[in-house]
Amino acid sequence: MSAWQAWSAWPGLSLAEAWRLSQLLLAWSLFVQVLEYLRMDDATQADGLWSWALQRRDIPREWQRQVLDHLYAPHVHRLHLWLRLGLLIAWLVHSANPLWISLLFGSQLTLFVRWRGAFNGGSDFLTLVALTGQLAGTWLHHLFAAEWAWQAGLWYVSLQAITSYFISGWVKWLRPEWRRGEAMTIFLNAAIYGPLPPAHPLRSPWLARLGSWAFMGWECVFPLALLQPGLALVFCGVAAVFHFLVFWYFGLNRFFWAWIAAFPAIVWSAGQSWS
Amino acid sequence: MTEALLVIYFLALLYALRAKPRYVRGPWLFLLRTFFPNWKFFHAVGHVPHLRVRAGVHAGGEEQWSDWQVIYPRRERHWWHLFHNPHTNLGLAQQNLVDHFWADVYDLPEGGDIRQLVTYPMMLRLAQGHLPEPTAGTPWTHWQMDLHMVLENRTAVVDAHTFVLGPVLPVGEGA
Repeated sequence: MSAWQAWSAWPGLSLAEAWRLSQLLLAWSLFVQVLEYLRMDDATQADGLWSWALQRRDIPREWQRQVLDHLYAPHVHRLHLWLRLGLLIAWLVHSANPLWISLLFGSQLTLFVRWRGAFNGGSDFLTLVALTGQLAGTWLHHLFAAEWAWQAGLWYVSLQAITSYFISGWVKWLRPEWRRGEAMTIFLNAAIYGPLPPAHPLRSPWLARLGSWAFMGWECVFPLALLQPGLALVFCGVAAVFHFLVFWYFGLNRFFWAWIAAFPAIVWSAGQSWS
Repeated sequence: MTEALLVIYFLALLYALRAKPRYVRGPWLFLLRTFFPNWKFFHAVGHVPHLRVRAGVHAGGEEQWSDWQVIYPRRERHWWHLFHNPHTNLGLAQQNLVDHFWADVYDLPEGGDIRQLVTYPMMLRLAQGHLPEPTAGTPWTHWQMDLHMVLENRTAVVDAHTFVLGPVLPVGEGA
Protein backbone atom coordinates (compact mmCIF):
# COMPACT_ATOMS: atom_id res chain seq x y z
CA MET A 1 0.00 0.00 0.00
CA SER A 2 1.44 3.36 -1.01
CA ALA A 3 1.72 6.24 1.43
CA TRP A 4 -1.06 8.01 -0.47
CA GLN A 5 -3.38 5.00 -0.16
CA ALA A 6 -2.54 4.61 3.54
CA TRP A 7 -3.23 8.28 4.13
CA SER A 8 -6.54 8.34 2.26
CA ALA A 9 -7.72 5.08 3.83
CA TRP A 10 -6.86 6.10 7.39
CA PRO A 11 -10.10 5.84 9.39
CA GLY A 12 -9.11 8.50 11.91
CA LEU A 13 -8.99 8.33 15.68
CA SER A 14 -11.29 6.02 17.60
CA LEU A 15 -13.69 7.66 20.05
CA ALA A 16 -11.70 6.48 23.09
CA GLU A 17 -8.39 7.63 21.56
CA ALA A 18 -9.75 11.06 20.67
CA TRP A 19 -11.36 11.52 24.08
CA ARG A 20 -8.23 10.60 26.07
CA LEU A 21 -5.89 12.54 23.76
CA SER A 22 -8.12 15.61 24.14
CA GLN A 23 -7.91 15.26 27.92
CA LEU A 24 -4.13 14.93 27.92
CA LEU A 25 -3.57 17.93 25.65
CA LEU A 26 -6.08 20.10 27.49
CA ALA A 27 -4.55 19.16 30.85
CA TRP A 28 -1.11 20.09 29.50
CA SER A 29 -2.43 23.41 28.16
CA LEU A 30 -3.99 24.22 31.55
CA PHE A 31 -0.80 23.11 33.30
CA VAL A 32 1.25 25.63 31.27
CA GLN A 33 -1.27 28.35 32.20
CA VAL A 34 -1.26 27.61 35.94
CA LEU A 35 2.53 27.65 36.15
CA GLU A 36 2.44 31.09 34.55
CA TYR A 37 -0.27 32.35 36.93
CA LEU A 38 1.89 31.22 39.85
CA ARG A 39 4.77 33.34 38.52
CA MET A 40 2.46 36.38 38.27
CA ASP A 41 1.90 36.56 42.00
CA ASP A 42 3.36 40.08 42.34
CA ALA A 43 0.93 41.54 39.79
CA THR A 44 -2.08 40.43 41.85
CA GLN A 45 -0.81 41.64 45.23
CA ALA A 46 -2.33 44.70 46.96
CA ASP A 47 0.20 47.04 45.35
CA GLY A 48 0.18 45.27 41.96
CA LEU A 49 -1.57 46.40 38.79
CA TRP A 50 -4.24 43.69 39.15
CA SER A 51 -4.88 44.35 42.83
CA TRP A 52 -8.24 42.94 43.87
CA ALA A 53 -8.86 46.09 45.94
CA LEU A 54 -9.03 48.03 42.65
CA GLN A 55 -10.84 45.38 40.64
CA ARG A 56 -13.56 44.50 43.12
CA ARG A 57 -15.60 47.46 41.87
CA ASP A 58 -16.28 45.37 38.74
CA ILE A 59 -18.58 43.23 40.89
CA PRO A 60 -22.07 44.74 41.01
CA ARG A 61 -23.33 43.73 44.48
CA GLU A 62 -21.66 44.15 47.87
CA TRP A 63 -22.37 40.62 49.09
CA GLN A 64 -20.81 39.23 45.91
CA ARG A 65 -17.75 41.41 46.52
CA GLN A 66 -17.46 40.12 50.07
CA VAL A 67 -17.59 36.50 48.94
CA LEU A 68 -14.95 37.14 46.28
CA ASP A 69 -12.79 39.12 48.74
CA HIS A 70 -12.26 35.83 50.60
CA LEU A 71 -11.68 33.82 47.43
CA TYR A 72 -9.16 36.30 46.02
CA ALA A 73 -7.25 36.99 49.25
CA PRO A 74 -3.63 36.49 48.11
CA HIS A 75 -2.95 33.39 50.22
CA VAL A 76 -6.26 31.76 49.21
CA HIS A 77 -5.65 32.57 45.54
CA ARG A 78 -2.18 31.02 45.76
CA LEU A 79 -3.59 27.92 47.44
CA HIS A 80 -6.23 27.70 44.74
CA LEU A 81 -3.54 27.70 42.04
CA TRP A 82 -1.52 24.97 43.77
CA LEU A 83 -4.63 22.81 44.21
CA ARG A 84 -5.44 23.33 40.55
CA LEU A 85 -1.93 22.24 39.64
CA GLY A 86 -2.36 19.07 41.69
CA LEU A 87 -5.70 18.34 40.05
CA LEU A 88 -4.16 18.74 36.60
CA ILE A 89 -1.31 16.38 37.39
CA ALA A 90 -3.90 13.84 38.55
CA TRP A 91 -5.80 14.37 35.30
CA LEU A 92 -2.65 13.90 33.23
CA VAL A 93 -1.97 10.48 34.76
CA HIS A 94 -5.53 9.32 35.22
CA SER A 95 -8.73 9.96 33.26
CA ALA A 96 -10.97 12.54 34.96
CA ASN A 97 -14.09 11.80 36.94
CA PRO A 98 -17.05 14.24 36.94
CA LEU A 99 -16.05 15.79 40.25
CA TRP A 100 -12.51 16.68 39.13
CA ILE A 101 -13.65 18.19 35.88
CA SER A 102 -16.40 20.18 37.65
CA LEU A 103 -13.82 21.55 40.08
CA LEU A 104 -11.52 22.48 37.21
CA PHE A 105 -14.35 24.17 35.36
CA GLY A 106 -15.42 26.22 38.40
CA SER A 107 -11.81 27.09 39.15
CA GLN A 108 -11.39 28.28 35.54
CA LEU A 109 -14.36 30.64 35.87
CA THR A 110 -13.01 32.16 39.08
CA LEU A 111 -9.66 32.72 37.37
CA PHE A 112 -11.39 34.54 34.52
CA VAL A 113 -13.21 36.82 36.97
CA ARG A 114 -9.93 37.47 38.80
CA TRP A 115 -8.46 38.72 35.49
CA ARG A 116 -11.47 40.88 34.58
CA GLY A 117 -13.19 38.31 32.39
CA ALA A 118 -10.25 36.98 30.40
CA PHE A 119 -6.50 36.90 30.78
CA ASN A 120 -5.48 36.22 27.23
CA GLY A 121 -8.58 36.64 25.03
CA GLY A 122 -8.79 33.97 22.34
CA SER A 123 -6.88 31.28 24.20
CA ASP A 124 -9.28 31.72 27.13
CA PHE A 125 -12.24 31.31 24.75
CA LEU A 126 -10.97 28.01 23.38
CA THR A 127 -9.82 26.79 26.79
CA LEU A 128 -13.36 27.24 28.08
CA VAL A 129 -14.79 25.55 24.98
CA ALA A 130 -12.53 22.52 25.52
CA LEU A 131 -13.34 22.39 29.24
CA THR A 132 -17.06 22.67 28.51
CA GLY A 133 -16.81 19.77 26.04
CA GLN A 134 -15.01 17.68 28.66
CA LEU A 135 -17.46 18.67 31.40
CA ALA A 136 -20.54 17.83 29.33
CA GLY A 137 -19.07 14.59 27.93
CA THR A 138 -17.80 13.37 31.31
CA TRP A 139 -21.05 14.07 33.15
CA LEU A 140 -23.30 12.66 30.42
CA HIS A 141 -21.14 9.56 30.17
CA HIS A 142 -21.26 9.19 33.96
CA LEU A 143 -25.07 9.49 33.99
CA PHE A 144 -25.99 7.49 30.88
CA ALA A 145 -22.92 5.32 30.20
CA ALA A 146 -23.42 5.96 26.50
CA GLU A 147 -20.98 6.64 23.66
CA TRP A 148 -22.97 9.64 22.48
CA ALA A 149 -21.88 11.56 25.60
CA TRP A 150 -18.23 11.69 24.51
CA GLN A 151 -19.30 12.18 20.90
CA ALA A 152 -21.32 15.26 21.87
CA GLY A 153 -18.36 16.69 23.79
CA LEU A 154 -15.96 16.13 20.89
CA TRP A 155 -18.36 17.53 18.28
CA TYR A 156 -18.83 20.67 20.37
CA VAL A 157 -15.07 21.28 20.63
CA SER A 158 -14.48 20.41 16.99
CA LEU A 159 -17.19 22.73 15.67
CA GLN A 160 -16.07 25.65 17.83
CA ALA A 161 -12.42 25.20 16.84
CA ILE A 162 -13.25 24.99 13.13
CA THR A 163 -15.56 27.99 13.54
CA SER A 164 -12.69 29.94 15.07
CA TYR A 165 -10.58 29.50 11.91
CA PHE A 166 -13.52 30.03 9.58
CA ILE A 167 -14.69 33.31 11.21
CA SER A 168 -11.16 34.59 11.74
CA GLY A 169 -10.36 34.01 8.06
CA TRP A 170 -13.53 35.51 6.62
CA VAL A 171 -13.55 38.67 8.79
CA LYS A 172 -10.06 39.40 7.50
CA TRP A 173 -11.06 38.61 3.94
CA LEU A 174 -13.76 41.26 4.15
CA ARG A 175 -11.19 43.94 5.10
CA PRO A 176 -9.32 45.68 2.23
CA GLU A 177 -6.21 46.28 4.39
CA TRP A 178 -5.88 42.52 4.85
CA ARG A 179 -6.44 41.80 1.17
CA ARG A 180 -3.72 44.35 0.32
CA GLY A 181 -1.36 42.65 2.79
CA GLU A 182 -0.82 45.86 4.79
CA ALA A 183 -2.54 44.68 7.96
CA MET A 184 -0.10 41.85 8.55
CA THR A 185 2.93 44.17 8.54
CA ILE A 186 1.15 46.72 10.75
CA PHE A 187 0.16 44.10 13.35
CA LEU A 188 3.64 42.53 13.29
CA ASN A 189 5.22 45.95 13.89
CA ALA A 190 2.96 46.48 16.91
CA ALA A 191 3.62 42.98 18.30
CA ILE A 192 5.27 42.48 21.68
CA TYR A 193 8.42 41.02 20.07
CA GLY A 194 8.30 43.65 17.35
CA PRO A 195 8.76 45.82 15.45
CA LEU A 196 9.98 43.88 12.41
CA PRO A 197 13.64 44.57 11.57
CA PRO A 198 14.02 46.98 8.61
CA ALA A 199 15.17 44.23 6.24
CA HIS A 200 12.63 41.61 7.33
CA PRO A 201 11.01 39.82 4.34
CA LEU A 202 7.49 40.52 5.64
CA ARG A 203 8.14 44.24 5.13
CA SER A 204 8.06 43.48 1.41
CA PRO A 205 4.52 44.39 0.23
CA TRP A 206 4.15 41.48 -2.21
CA LEU A 207 5.41 38.90 0.29
CA ALA A 208 3.11 40.28 3.02
CA ARG A 209 0.20 40.06 0.57
CA LEU A 210 1.13 36.51 -0.43
CA GLY A 211 1.39 35.48 3.22
CA SER A 212 -1.92 37.15 4.10
CA TRP A 213 -3.77 35.53 1.21
CA ALA A 214 -2.27 32.12 1.98
CA PHE A 215 -3.34 32.01 5.61
CA MET A 216 -6.68 33.78 5.08
CA GLY A 217 -7.52 31.28 2.33
CA TRP A 218 -6.50 28.35 4.51
CA GLU A 219 -8.63 29.63 7.42
CA CYS A 220 -11.65 30.26 5.16
CA VAL A 221 -11.68 26.69 3.81
CA PHE A 222 -10.91 25.01 7.14
CA PRO A 223 -14.37 23.30 7.28
CA LEU A 224 -13.11 21.11 4.40
CA ALA A 225 -11.05 19.33 7.08
CA LEU A 226 -14.26 17.50 7.96
CA LEU A 227 -14.24 15.69 4.60
CA GLN A 228 -11.71 13.06 5.59
CA PRO A 229 -9.50 12.25 8.63
CA GLY A 230 -6.26 12.38 6.61
CA LEU A 231 -7.24 15.80 5.31
CA ALA A 232 -8.07 16.92 8.86
CA LEU A 233 -4.58 15.83 9.88
CA VAL A 234 -3.08 18.03 7.14
CA PHE A 235 -5.24 21.02 8.18
CA CYS A 236 -4.24 20.52 11.82
CA GLY A 237 -0.55 20.19 10.85
CA VAL A 238 -0.69 23.53 9.00
CA ALA A 239 -2.58 24.98 11.97
CA ALA A 240 0.21 23.88 14.33
CA VAL A 241 2.77 25.74 12.18
CA PHE A 242 0.46 28.76 12.02
CA HIS A 243 0.02 28.86 15.82
CA PHE A 244 3.76 28.46 16.29
CA LEU A 245 4.34 31.51 14.07
CA VAL A 246 1.69 33.45 16.05
CA PHE A 247 3.64 32.56 19.19
CA TRP A 248 6.96 33.45 17.55
CA TYR A 249 5.86 36.93 16.51
CA PHE A 250 3.17 37.83 19.05
CA GLY A 251 4.29 35.88 22.11
CA LEU A 252 0.93 34.08 22.32
CA ASN A 253 2.15 30.71 23.62
CA ARG A 254 -1.19 29.96 25.26
CA PHE A 255 -2.93 30.09 21.86
CA PHE A 256 -0.60 27.36 20.60
CA TRP A 257 -1.46 24.88 23.36
CA ALA A 258 -5.16 25.77 23.55
CA TRP A 259 -5.73 25.06 19.85
CA ILE A 260 -3.52 21.96 19.77
CA ALA A 261 -5.80 20.55 22.47
CA ALA A 262 -8.74 20.79 20.04
CA PHE A 263 -7.02 18.86 17.21
CA PRO A 264 -8.02 15.32 18.35
CA ALA A 265 -11.68 16.42 18.31
CA ILE A 266 -11.30 17.80 14.76
CA VAL A 267 -9.58 14.66 13.44
CA TRP A 268 -12.12 12.39 15.13
CA SER A 269 -15.14 14.33 13.83
CA ALA A 270 -13.68 14.21 10.30
CA GLY A 271 -14.03 10.44 10.53
CA GLN A 272 -17.72 10.70 11.40
CA SER A 273 -19.24 12.71 8.56
CA TRP A 274 -18.49 12.21 4.85
CA SER A 275 -15.99 9.38 5.16
CA MET B 1 -27.98 14.41 7.46
CA THR B 2 -24.89 15.45 9.47
CA GLU B 3 -23.28 16.71 6.30
CA ALA B 4 -26.30 18.86 5.38
CA LEU B 5 -26.42 20.37 8.88
CA LEU B 6 -22.73 21.22 8.71
CA VAL B 7 -23.11 22.96 5.35
CA ILE B 8 -26.11 24.95 6.64
CA TYR B 9 -24.20 25.90 9.79
CA PHE B 10 -21.18 27.32 7.95
CA LEU B 11 -23.35 29.12 5.39
CA ALA B 12 -25.35 30.70 8.23
CA LEU B 13 -22.10 31.84 9.87
CA LEU B 14 -21.00 33.44 6.62
CA TYR B 15 -24.32 35.24 6.32
CA ALA B 16 -24.17 36.40 9.95
CA LEU B 17 -20.76 37.98 9.37
CA ARG B 18 -22.37 40.61 7.15
CA ALA B 19 -25.00 41.50 9.75
CA LYS B 20 -24.47 44.47 12.04
CA PRO B 21 -23.64 43.20 15.55
CA ARG B 22 -25.86 44.10 18.50
CA TYR B 23 -24.33 44.37 21.93
CA VAL B 24 -25.78 43.20 25.23
CA ARG B 25 -24.01 44.65 28.25
CA GLY B 26 -23.86 43.89 31.96
CA PRO B 27 -21.17 43.51 34.61
CA TRP B 28 -21.43 39.73 34.82
CA LEU B 29 -21.71 39.38 31.05
CA PHE B 30 -18.42 41.26 30.82
CA LEU B 31 -16.76 39.10 33.48
CA LEU B 32 -18.04 35.88 31.89
CA ARG B 33 -17.59 36.92 28.27
CA THR B 34 -15.46 33.85 27.55
CA PHE B 35 -18.77 31.97 27.23
CA PHE B 36 -19.46 34.02 24.08
CA PRO B 37 -16.39 33.76 21.84
CA ASN B 38 -16.44 35.98 18.75
CA TRP B 39 -13.28 34.53 17.09
CA LYS B 40 -12.38 37.85 15.48
CA PHE B 41 -8.64 38.25 15.95
CA PHE B 42 -6.52 41.11 14.58
CA HIS B 43 -9.18 41.80 12.00
CA ALA B 44 -9.27 45.62 11.76
CA VAL B 45 -6.48 48.16 11.49
CA GLY B 46 -7.15 51.42 13.30
CA HIS B 47 -5.98 53.78 16.00
CA VAL B 48 -4.21 51.94 18.82
CA PRO B 49 -4.40 53.40 22.35
CA HIS B 50 -0.99 54.03 23.91
CA LEU B 51 -0.70 55.03 27.55
CA ARG B 52 1.94 57.71 28.11
CA VAL B 53 3.34 59.34 31.22
CA ARG B 54 5.46 62.39 31.91
CA ALA B 55 6.90 63.83 35.11
CA GLY B 56 7.58 67.40 36.14
CA VAL B 57 9.38 69.54 38.66
CA HIS B 58 9.05 73.14 39.86
CA ALA B 59 12.45 74.74 39.39
CA GLY B 60 13.29 78.44 39.60
CA GLY B 61 9.63 79.41 39.55
CA GLU B 62 9.12 77.48 36.33
CA GLU B 63 7.49 74.16 35.64
CA GLN B 64 9.66 71.71 33.73
CA TRP B 65 8.30 68.51 32.20
CA SER B 66 10.05 65.43 30.90
CA ASP B 67 9.18 64.14 27.45
CA TRP B 68 6.12 61.90 27.23
CA GLN B 69 7.15 58.29 27.74
CA VAL B 70 5.13 55.59 26.00
CA ILE B 71 4.16 52.59 28.14
CA TYR B 72 3.95 49.91 25.49
CA PRO B 73 5.14 46.38 26.26
CA ARG B 74 8.08 45.02 24.30
CA ARG B 75 9.84 41.81 25.24
CA GLU B 76 12.82 39.77 24.08
CA ARG B 77 11.87 36.48 22.43
CA HIS B 78 13.14 33.07 23.57
CA TRP B 79 12.20 29.65 22.21
CA TRP B 80 11.32 28.38 25.68
CA HIS B 81 8.61 31.03 25.95
CA LEU B 82 6.46 28.47 24.12
CA PHE B 83 6.32 26.52 27.40
CA HIS B 84 6.58 29.27 29.99
CA ASN B 85 5.96 32.92 29.20
CA PRO B 86 4.54 34.79 32.21
CA HIS B 87 6.42 38.05 31.65
CA THR B 88 5.29 38.40 28.03
CA ASN B 89 1.73 37.39 28.88
CA LEU B 90 1.61 40.04 31.61
CA GLY B 91 2.77 42.59 29.04
CA LEU B 92 -0.03 41.51 26.69
CA ALA B 93 -2.56 41.70 29.54
CA GLN B 94 -1.28 45.17 30.39
CA GLN B 95 -1.91 46.39 26.83
CA ASN B 96 -5.36 44.71 26.89
CA LEU B 97 -6.09 46.76 29.99
CA VAL B 98 -5.15 49.95 28.14
CA ASP B 99 -7.50 48.90 25.30
CA HIS B 100 -10.29 48.33 27.85
CA PHE B 101 -9.68 51.75 29.37
CA TRP B 102 -10.05 53.32 25.92
CA ALA B 103 -13.30 51.34 25.33
CA ASP B 104 -14.65 52.29 28.78
CA VAL B 105 -14.02 56.00 28.19
CA TYR B 106 -15.47 55.77 24.68
CA ASP B 107 -18.64 54.19 26.07
CA LEU B 108 -19.05 56.68 28.91
CA PRO B 109 -22.41 58.44 28.71
CA GLU B 110 -22.51 62.22 28.30
CA GLY B 111 -21.34 63.79 31.58
CA GLY B 112 -20.05 60.43 32.89
CA ASP B 113 -17.26 60.50 35.46
CA ILE B 114 -14.05 58.82 34.32
CA ARG B 115 -13.05 58.33 37.97
CA GLN B 116 -15.90 55.84 38.37
CA LEU B 117 -14.33 53.46 35.87
CA VAL B 118 -12.50 50.47 37.32
CA THR B 119 -9.84 50.85 34.64
CA TYR B 120 -9.07 54.45 35.59
CA PRO B 121 -7.23 53.76 38.90
CA MET B 122 -5.57 50.81 37.20
CA MET B 123 -4.21 53.14 34.51
CA LEU B 124 -3.03 55.58 37.18
CA ARG B 125 -1.17 52.74 38.88
CA LEU B 126 0.32 51.54 35.60
CA ALA B 127 1.46 55.03 34.65
CA GLN B 128 2.80 55.77 38.11
CA GLY B 129 5.02 52.71 37.90
CA HIS B 130 6.65 53.99 34.72
CA LEU B 131 7.73 57.51 35.68
CA PRO B 132 10.93 58.47 33.84
CA GLU B 133 14.20 58.65 35.75
CA PRO B 134 14.77 62.15 37.19
CA THR B 135 17.29 64.22 35.26
CA ALA B 136 20.10 66.09 37.04
CA GLY B 137 19.25 64.29 40.28
CA THR B 138 16.25 66.50 41.12
CA PRO B 139 13.31 64.34 42.15
CA TRP B 140 10.06 64.84 40.27
CA THR B 141 7.32 66.65 42.16
CA HIS B 142 4.34 65.86 39.93
CA TRP B 143 3.26 63.68 37.05
CA GLN B 144 0.56 63.22 34.43
CA MET B 145 -0.69 60.48 32.12
CA ASP B 146 -2.48 60.59 28.82
CA LEU B 147 -4.10 58.13 26.46
CA HIS B 148 -2.66 58.70 23.02
CA MET B 149 -4.34 57.28 19.93
CA VAL B 150 -1.85 56.23 17.24
CA LEU B 151 -2.58 55.17 13.67
CA GLU B 152 0.26 53.55 11.75
CA ASN B 153 0.68 52.33 8.22
CA ARG B 154 3.35 49.90 7.05
CA THR B 155 6.23 52.27 7.70
CA ALA B 156 5.23 55.29 9.79
CA VAL B 157 2.75 56.95 12.14
CA VAL B 158 0.10 58.68 10.03
CA ASP B 159 -2.05 60.15 12.81
CA ALA B 160 -1.81 60.63 16.55
CA HIS B 161 -3.93 62.54 19.01
CA THR B 162 -4.64 62.70 22.73
CA PHE B 163 -7.88 61.02 23.73
CA VAL B 164 -7.67 61.42 27.51
CA LEU B 165 -5.43 63.87 29.36
CA GLY B 166 -5.13 62.92 33.01
CA PRO B 167 -4.89 65.40 35.89
CA VAL B 168 -1.54 66.65 37.17
CA LEU B 169 -0.89 64.70 40.37
CA PRO B 170 1.78 65.03 43.05
CA VAL B 171 4.38 62.24 42.95
CA GLY B 172 3.25 59.53 45.32
CA GLU B 173 -0.40 60.21 44.65
CA GLY B 174 -2.26 57.98 42.25
CA ALA B 175 -4.02 54.71 42.89
